[in-house]
Amino acid sequence: MRMLKATAVALLLQTALMGTVYAQALNGNPMSDVRVRQAIAYAIDKDTIIATVLGGYAVRADGLLPNGPFKSPNLDPYPFNPDKARELLKQAGWDSSRTLEMVFYYDDQVTANLMTVLQAELADVGITMNYHLLVGDVAKTLNSIPDDPKGKSVVTWDLGYGARAAIAMQEYFNDYATGKASADGFPGSPELDGLIADSNSSTDPEVTKKALMSIDEYINKNALTIPLYYQQLYAVESNRLNRNGEPHGNDQFNYDWNIQNWTVEPDADGKKVMYTNAAPVDYFEEPWVNLGLWAGNKMIWAHMLSAKPFMDGVAEGDLADTYKVSDDGKTVTFTMRDGTTWQDGEPITTDDVVWSLETALKVPTLHGVLANTFNSIEGAADFVAGTAPHISGISVDGKTITIKFAKVDPNVLLSFTQWGPLPKKYFEGVDPTLLQQAPFWQKPVGSGPFMVEEAKFGDFTSFVPFDGYWKGKAKIDQIIAWASGDGDANMVKNAAAHRIDFAITKAVNDLETLKTLDFMKLTPLDIPYTRMIWINQYDK
Amino acid sequence: MLTYIIRRILIIVPMAVAVSFLIYLGLDLTPGDAVSHMLDPTRTVDPEKLAELRHALGLDSPLIVRYWIWLTGVLQGHFGYTLTGGVPISSLLVDRLPATLELSGTALILSTILGSILGTISALRRGSATDNVLTVVGMIGVSIPEFFFGLVAIVVFALNLNWLPVGGRLLPSYDSYWDHIPNLIMPALVLSIMMTAGVMRYARSSMLDALSREFIKTARSKGLPEWRVNLLHGFRVALTPVIVLVGFRLPILIGGSVIVEQVFQWPGLGNLFVSAVRNKDLPVVMTIALLSVVLVLTVSLIIDVLTAVIDPRVRLGA
Repeated sequence: MRMLKATAVALLLQTALMGTVYAQALNGNPMSDVRVRQAIAYAIDKDTIIATVLGGYAVRADGLLPNGPFKSPNLDPYPFNPDKARELLKQAGWDSSRTLEMVFYYDDQVTANLMTVLQAELADVGITMNYHLLVGDVAKTLNSIPDDPKGKSVVTWDLGYGARAAIAMQEYFNDYATGKASADGFPGSPELDGLIADSNSSTDPEVTKKALMSIDEYINKNALTIPLYYQQLYAVESNRLNRNGEPHGNDQFNYDWNIQNWTVEPDADGKKVMYTNAAPVDYFEEPWVNLGLWAGNKMIWAHMLSAKPFMDGVAEGDLADTYKVSDDGKTVTFTMRDGTTWQDGEPITTDDVVWSLETALKVPTLHGVLANTFNSIEGAADFVAGTAPHISGISVDGKTITIKFAKVDPNVLLSFTQWGPLPKKYFEGVDPTLLQQAPFWQKPVGSGPFMVEEAKFGDFTSFVPFDGYWKGKAKIDQIIAWASGDGDANMVKNAAAHRIDFAITKAVNDLETLKTLDFMKLTPLDIPYTRMIWINQYDK
Repeated sequence: MLTYIIRRILIIVPMAVAVSFLIYLGLDLTPGDAVSHMLDPTRTVDPEKLAELRHALGLDSPLIVRYWIWLTGVLQGHFGYTLTGGVPISSLLVDRLPATLELSGTALILSTILGSILGTISALRRGSATDNVLTVVGMIGVSIPEFFFGLVAIVVFALNLNWLPVGGRLLPSYDSYWDHIPNLIMPALVLSIMMTAGVMRYARSSMLDALSREFIKTARSKGLPEWRVNLLHGFRVALTPVIVLVGFRLPILIGGSVIVEQVFQWPGLGNLFVSAVRNKDLPVVMTIALLSVVLVLTVSLIIDVLTAVIDPRVRLGA
C-alpha cells in the first residue's frame, strides 16, 4: 500500500512538474503534440546556423524576449541533439511519410539558405519539410485562424518563419491570447491568457516583468514557438561623422538621438553635408505606421516625449514640457512646451494634439502599440463608432492636456515617445482613412530638427536645419538622403563611394563588405528583434 | 498607303483597350491587393479598418467596374492616383519620364549608330581579323548580363578611378542640365553595350545577305564604285531588319531598363514600374503598361511604313 501511495505521489509530482505540457496530440494535428514540437527544437543547430548562414551577425535565442533585464533564467535552451529529437518523435508516433509545409516572407538569399539548412536538419531526424515564399496577401495567409479555437485550421502551412521587432515587450506575446488572429498558430490556453492579462494590467514594471518572464517560460516549456536567433541591427557610420557623444539606440524606433548635435567634416566648400539613405521613393510615409524606421521621418518629426535609447523609459519631455501619470496609471497629463512651432513658423497648439489623437484612432495602419494606448482612452470606442463627436477622455486647459484611460496601459508613456502630432491645418477635408494619400506627404511640414528642402522622389531628398527647433539649430548644414526602401540594395556601393555617413542595416552580406571599408565604422545594436519558427497547432 | 495608315491607326484603339484589359485581369488574379502590401505581415490590423481602407480606395468594387473607372479616366486624360501614396500619376510621369527618356534615348541612339556601323564593317571585311574581333566582342556584349557590366563599370570608373559618380541622376548642387551628364555616361554606355551588340549582329548578317543578292552583282557589273554599291544599294536594303529591331526596342523608352536603373539608382519609369507591380498599385502599372502598348502598336505601324519607304519591293495593304 505504501509503495502504491509513493508511486501515486511520484506520478502526481511528475504531472505537476510538467505543468501544462501534455505529452500527446491534442487534436488531429500532430504538431499539437509537445513532443513533436520539442523534437523540432532539438533538431535545429542554432549555433551552426548563426556561425555559417548568418555569418556570426546574430545572437542565439532561447526565448522570445531579448537578452537583458527581461530574460528568464529558467528557459530550456533545447541544445542541438538529433538523437533526442528522434527519440521524442518515436514516442510521439511520428508518421515519417508526413510532409510539413514551411512558409516565410523574406525573399533574400540568407533566408533561402536558412530554409535549405532547416530542411536538411529536420530530414536528419526523420521529418520531411517543404518550404515556399509567401506572396500576395501575406498577412492574411499567416494570421488567419478559425472562429472556434478548437476548429479546423484555415491555413495549410505547418511551420512559419518570421520575426517580431518589438517596441513594447508585450508585443511578443499579446497575439498568443485565445481567439487573437496571429501567426503563432497557438489556439490558446486559460493559463497563458491569464499571464498575458497580467502583463498588460499593471504600471508597475516589476509586476509586468515577472508576468512577461512567466509567459516566455510557458512558451519555452511547451515549445509553442521556436526562437532561433536575435537579429542585430548595425549602425553604419563614416569617419567623417561625429555624434559628439550622443548615444546609439534602437534605430528601428524613435529615441533621444539628438541629431542636432551631430557634426560632419566640412567639404571643400566648407559646407557640412551628411549623406544617408532611406529617403522616400514616391512619398513620405506618415509617421504613425512604422515608428522611427525611416531616418527621414526621425529628422522631420518631434514627439510628445523623448525615449531613452533602448526604449527603457522616458528621457525627457519633447513637445510636452512636462508629463505626469496618476498613481492608478489611468490619467496622464501633458503640459505643452512654450514656443514650439511647426516648420512653417506656426505655433504647435493643443488643438493640433487633440485633433491628431482623434485622427490617429481612425487611421487604418496605426501602429499596434499606439492603437492599444489610444483605444484605451475613455470614450475612444464611442468616437471611433461615430456615436460621439470627440473623445470624452481628453480635456484641455490652457497648455495642459489631460487624458483619462478606461483601462491601464503599461505602455502609455512609451507610446507618447513614439507619437507626435501633425499640423491640423494641412488636413482640412482629408478623410483619416486616406491620411497617407493626402498631398501633404509630398513635402511634409514637421516639428523636428530638420525640414525637407527638396524631394526628388526616387533620387534624393535634401534636408536642412529647422531654425525654430526647440532644442536648437542643428550643426550639420544639409543632409542628403538617397532614395531607398527598407534594406537598401545600394547602400554598400554608396558607402564605398563615400556617399554614406550614416545608415542602419541588418543585411548579413552588406556587413561582410562594409567591414572591409576602413573609413566606415560598424556598431552592433542589440534590439528586440527575434527570428522564430511559428508552429500551427490548430486541428487539421 | 494613306488608307492603310488610317486603318492601322483605327485598329490601335481597340487593340490597346483589349491588351490593357488583359493586363488588368492578369494583375487582379494575382494574390493580394495594394492594401495587403501596405501592411507588415506580422502585425494584425483591425479587419474592419482594412475594409474601410479598401472601400475608400475603391478596391472592393467588382473588377469590371474598377477597370471601367480607370479606362474612362484615362480616356479623359486623367491617369488617377497611386493607391499607396495618393500621388497623381501624371506628376509621377512628369518626374520619371524625362529620366527614362534621357537614359534609354541616349543608349538607343548610341547603339543604333555604333551597331550599324560596326556590323557593316564586319560584313564588308568578312573573315578578316576585324570581323573576328567584332564578332567576339558582339557575342560577349550579347552574352554578359547588364548588371555585371554595370557593377564592373562602377568598380572601375567610380570606385577605383573616381572619374564618374557611382549612381543617381541629380543632386541639389546641380544648377544646369549639363551638371548631371557625368551621371548619365555610365548607365547609358552600359545599357548601350548590349543593345549595340544586338544591332551589330543583325546589321552584319543583314548586310551579308544583301551583298549576296543579284542586284548587288548587277550594280557592280554596271561599273559603280564599290563604296556606292555597298552603301547605297547594300546598306539600304540591309537596314530593313535593323530598323525592325530598333523599332521594337523603342518601348524601353517608356518602360526603361529595369536592371540598369536599379544598378545605377536611376529614378526612371523602370524602377517605378517594378515597385508598382510589387505593391500591386494597379493605376501606376496600368498607366505605364498602356503607354508601352500604345508605343509598341504605333512603332509597329511606323516600321511597316518605313520598311515600305526603304524597300520598294514592299507594298502596304497588299
